[in-house]
Amino acid sequence: MLTARRAVLAALATAFATSVSAAGDVEAGRIKANTCMGCHGIPNYTNAYPTYRVPKLGGQHPEYIKAALKDYRDGKRQHTTMHAQGLSLSDQDIEDIAAYIAKAPAHQ
Amino acid sequence: MNHSRLLALAIAATTLPAFAAPEVAKPEKAGTCAACHGETGVSANGMYPTIAGQYANYLEHSLKAYRQGTRKNAIMGAQAVNLTDAEIKQLSAWYAAQQGPLYTLSVHGDLKQ
Repeated sequence: MLTARRAVLAALATAFATSVSAAGDVEAGRIKANTCMGCHGIPNYTNAYPTYRVPKLGGQHPEYIKAALKDYRDGKRQHTTMHAQGLSLSDQDIEDIAAYIAKAPAHQ
Repeated sequence: MNHSRLLALAIAATTLPAFAAPEVAKPEKAGTCAACHGETGVSANGMYPTIAGQYANYLEHSLKAYRQGTRKNAIMGAQAVNLTDAEIKQLSAWYAAQQGPLYTLSVHGDLKQ
């Protein structure tokens, strides 16, 4: 009985795991993150109105990057440019971008 | 005052700690932040961003957006609402000055292992 229950649980867990996007692909993310570099790949790059520096993303937690991108995309976090960028991203794109950022080289 | 005395005074002045870059004191309210963001802003939990070494004016912008409610987060909103402009500035400057893993991305170079 216990093993049967475990088997059901395992099957359910697998079903749930496959319903969300697959783990991020670093190489796919490198291409998808190209646009990000226009601002996030320049040291001290400044956001215009209000004026503040665009955040450093290298070394940041991938979980946080993913949550931030989804919030921008879904309009839960406000930023005109980031919302516009986010609109074209699927959950898989976000996984890929986060996987790439976690391994991206540093600006010298 | 003769020349050697003046020289001695000049040397003493340049070595005085008062002439070193002032270190930003840890703000009192940073104690609350530590629970999620780590003692010096290096977070151990992926849910919470690392803020050590992040740009001060970005941190300031974020805290003000949380305080104002334009950036919504139950935990951060509740914390930021109690902060004055001066406290936000102090907290942001202190975290920006801490050592951490954050860096600017580059399209050039090899991937990290």
